[in-house]
Amino acid sequence: MISKVDLAHLAQISKIDLSEEEIEKFPMQLERTIEYIDVLEELSSDDSIDLDLQEIKFDQLRDDLIKNADGERISKNLTEDGYLKGPKMK
Amino acid sequence: MSLVMIGLEIHAQVTALKSKLFCSCRGNYRDFKPNTNICATCSGLPGTLPVINRKAIEYSAMISIALGCKVPNKVMFYRKNYFYPDLPKNFQITQYNVYGFSSIGVEGIFELDDLKKIRISRIQLEEDPGRIAYVDSGMNVTNSALIDYNRAGVALIEIVTEPEFTNPKEVRLFLNKLSLTLQHLGVCDTLLEGSVRCDANVSLKGGNKVEIKNINSFKEVEKAINYEITRQSSMYNRNIKVEFETRHWDDRKKITFKARSKEEEHDYRYFPEPDIPVIVLGDGFVSNIKDLMPELPLQRFNRFVSKYKLSEHTSNILINDKKLADFFESILKIHFSPVEIANFLITDFKSLIEDDVENIDYLTNMKVKPEHIGELVKMIEENKISRITAKDILIKIFDSGKLPSEIANSTNSFKISDEKILIDAVESVFNTEKSAVEDAQTNHEAINFLLGKVMKFTKGRADPKIAMRLINTRLNKAGT
Amino acid sequence: MSNLYDLLASEVVDGIKEGLFTTEEYVCSVIKRIEDVESKLHSFISLDSEGAVSSAKLIDRKLREKEKIGPLCGIIVGIKDNISTKNIKTTCASKMLEDYIPPYDATVVRHMKENGAIIMGKLNLDEFGMGSTTEYSRYGPTHNPWNLDYVPGGSSGGCGAAVASGECTVSLGSDTGGSIRCPASFCSVVGLKPTYGKVSRYGLISYANSLEQIGPICRSVKDIVMIMNVISGKDMNDNTTIPSSSITINGKTKKLNVAILKELIDSCDGSVKKTIYSTAEKFKEIGCEYSEISIKNLNYALPSYYTLASAEASSNLSRYDNIRYGFDLPIDDYKWEQYFSTVRKNFGEEVKRRILIGSYVLSSGYYSKYYLKARRLRSLLRLELLTLFKQYDLFIGPTMPILPFKFGEKIDDPIKMYLVDINTVIANLASIPAVSLPVGFSNGLPIGLQMMAAPFEEQKLIDASYALENTINIRRRPNLT
Ligand SMILES: [Zn+2]
Repeated sequence: MISKVDLAHLAQISKIDLSEEEIEKFPMQLERTIEYIDVLEELSSDDSIDLDLQEIKFDQLRDDLIKNADGERISKNLTEDGYLKGPKMK
Repeated sequence: MSLVMIGLEIHAQVTALKSKLFCSCRGNYRDFKPNTNICATCSGLPGTLPVINRKAIEYSAMISIALGCKVPNKVMFYRKNYFYPDLPKNFQITQYNVYGFSSIGVEGIFELDDLKKIRISRIQLEEDPGRIAYVDSGMNVTNSALIDYNRAGVALIEIVTEPEFTNPKEVRLFLNKLSLTLQHLGVCDTLLEGSVRCDANVSLKGGNKVEIKNINSFKEVEKAINYEITRQSSMYNRNIKVEFETRHWDDRKKITFKARSKEEEHDYRYFPEPDIPVIVLGDGFVSNIKDLMPELPLQRFNRFVSKYKLSEHTSNILINDKKLADFFESILKIHFSPVEIANFLITDFKSLIEDDVENIDYLTNMKVKPEHIGELVKMIEENKISRITAKDILIKIFDSGKLPSEIANSTNSFKISDEKILIDAVESVFNTEKSAVEDAQTNHEAINFLLGKVMKFTKGRADPKIAMRLINTRLNKAGT
Repeated sequence: MSNLYDLLASEVVDGIKEGLFTTEEYVCSVIKRIEDVESKLHSFISLDSEGAVSSAKLIDRKLREKEKIGPLCGIIVGIKDNISTKNIKTTCASKMLEDYIPPYDATVVRHMKENGAIIMGKLNLDEFGMGSTTEYSRYGPTHNPWNLDYVPGGSSGGCGAAVASGECTVSLGSDTGGSIRCPASFCSVVGLKPTYGKVSRYGLISYANSLEQIGPICRSVKDIVMIMNVISGKDMNDNTTIPSSSITINGKTKKLNVAILKELIDSCDGSVKKTIYSTAEKFKEIGCEYSEISIKNLNYALPSYYTLASAEASSNLSRYDNIRYGFDLPIDDYKWEQYFSTVRKNFGEEVKRRILIGSYVLSSGYYSKYYLKARRLRSLLRLELLTLFKQYDLFIGPTMPILPFKFGEKIDDPIKMYLVDINTVIANLASIPAVSLPVGFSNGLPIGLQMMAAPFEEQKLIDASYALENTINIRRRPNLT
């Protein structure tokens, strides 16, 4: 069961402030989704099943070369001397 | 269980790479104006994808092999999810071994000395975050942080040891050996500003582990650990329990201080990075890398001892300074006289350098080249100049970059073996040092005194053997 | 000739090259069409009519000067608004990217432009591609051109509606769990989700990287082929792309072994079922055999899909902290954590739900229970399908288990909404290609046939689709007057 405490934790690690309405509504909705995906538990946890992830060969990787990016720059929140202005740290 | 247990987590930038780990911006981000060494990818713009640098895999594999690690056949990247303003994507692409070994190096063993080995748990390749250039504090409040992504995405190696150090000295020894190894591999310049960082965990008497973060140079690590051991021991003495916690090292005040507790609650939600397929290194990979690897310090030491017949002491001094060792070997190509050259380097040459130790890159910037030392040592060996003169000439080379023979000529520094000149010198000394001459008839010490005078008279250029013979001849003449 | 805006891509290219009309005339006809119908449909988030006209003029001038223009000469493309377009706002239908103007083109956009296509604008979607109706768009939903009270499908709903109604020649959408095929089915157009790795994702704003592909939505199979041959191929900016051969339209279909997926057809609406079975019969007319087969691991497909998609989404969407891009909210007075949490409130509800679920399934203790299991199911399913593909060339079934539905019908119940994706997620999980082809109507609402093939066997999908398209006679254009 997803409690409001669990929800608060999830919201905290996801960095999302929830509205009052969402705090009321979400636990039930998330719980139903989790119940729905809980059928995965029936699957064998046989570790021998290969995860079949996509592969790439070492020699196909990019060469260590420098390319100048033109115009691919940040445009928002820049200070005059080029720093990106972020919220205060403390 | 030993009294003190220390483990290390070392981050070192792979400074030999031209480009960043996942994009083609410059790996050497230093000297750029803020946010000018960035592209859409390393500044985390939506829709960009990491494209991995093959050389980064190669170099980090070299490091793994040099530190005695196994390199898995398949290498994977994971996402470490946490929010922080210096992370352009609010996650870091790194490696992770909890669901099977897939980082570039695992299970290594690194020999500290004959008695002690330290196990390396893993070596990971990951991206460096950006930098927060100015954090507001105190009275002068700026309501913002200034972020610079020039460093974001630079390839970083994380080396994690088991907590097997039992005192700070071992840590220092380890870091020295590690630096030396990295130096010899030529992949990480640990002397570059900000290129290495170190975290250390310290526990006493089997108590709770305290993590010290933010140690920004190898030099500071020993100090931080010493401080922490003292702090924890005094707590034990006062029966205060040491908490499991994270502390930061303040390198101005030289103390550790407690981090805010929130930072310890991280749940990083690792999962395989979907934008980078599993990298298959292939069968011949490790042996290919070994072929590409430069000689490691130990191998080089052994070679110096066996091939050049240097003493272990001399070899050590040379190996401990990779550039000096390289310099030594390039002199040998000009004049092959290993023992003489090595001795000259570690005595006369180094004594001139050590006045100026701050200039760490002396070997690249100085005017003294291998040809100079080669010729100079050859002149000593051929008895053309004295050792003392050689040192004077060396000083002049440092200033002018001129060849030793040229300097010796222009300053009349060659040894005097012309007997006519030397007879005149002996005659002159005999005339002024009459009482010494008399003594010398009976007292052998006085003969050396006379030789000293002759040397002084010739400004050290007299060939001592000839001068001695002439003094004896002259004494015999005087006695009869 | 009727209206220029009605033409297929191949007809546009031929018409312009043969001098039947100019590119500018064609573009103006489409702009006029947009002016007529856009207020009813709301397919676009942003329109660049001026840019389109000047691109058209440029092409006409080049043609007069005998310069070579690529194979897409003069066709008009609408781009789903989660694909980056240089200097054109790309919002993902989210407040979090309200004012974001990418400084670069997605690889597919670059390819389209280089081959003579003209960009008309950016098409509506569910926020970040999360949804099946466009109801989750921050800019309001798109309407189904066949019945304006109904949803157009999603998440590429703008693509489906715009192509079906003649607001563009073709469009590029993205498909994470059915987002190309669902609106293709609901709007009665053709949509192809390519094999994973066939088309570069560089510039596609990620929702679930390991599942999604960019693909074309068009009014004909031939148009699909034209677009695919321009956008597919290895891209140095996307490590997950794989080189592959081009596809062709050849009139003759080799005899294909076709299998109806029993589970998919059993669970769908009666009217949909009827149409699919009668379409299956058509396979005999084009010389193919069909039989019915069952897939073992299908029950777990959707739970597995939602686990993986949410997990990846929760991480992908972390970067939206409003510092480098986003809406206007001064940073002063906030501590960084407060600022992040405050701005991130502005994701839509469905996006927030998926981020929270994603954080949940990845958090320590749950990783093996959910993420790893889901990943394993994915491998099992792929293995099972690949084994079956040794015997069969194509799997067929309904693209959507139901007919298009009315606005508001499912929006309050996330699970109900997720269930409409049940047929389409299979192809994403197995990384195989799948197409949705219009095959009929029920009560005036479109029905699509889904066909899936083995990895990189797009040619088989095209062969069968082209043959069926020529066999099945259905109305091709909605009445919007
Ligand atoms: Zn970059």
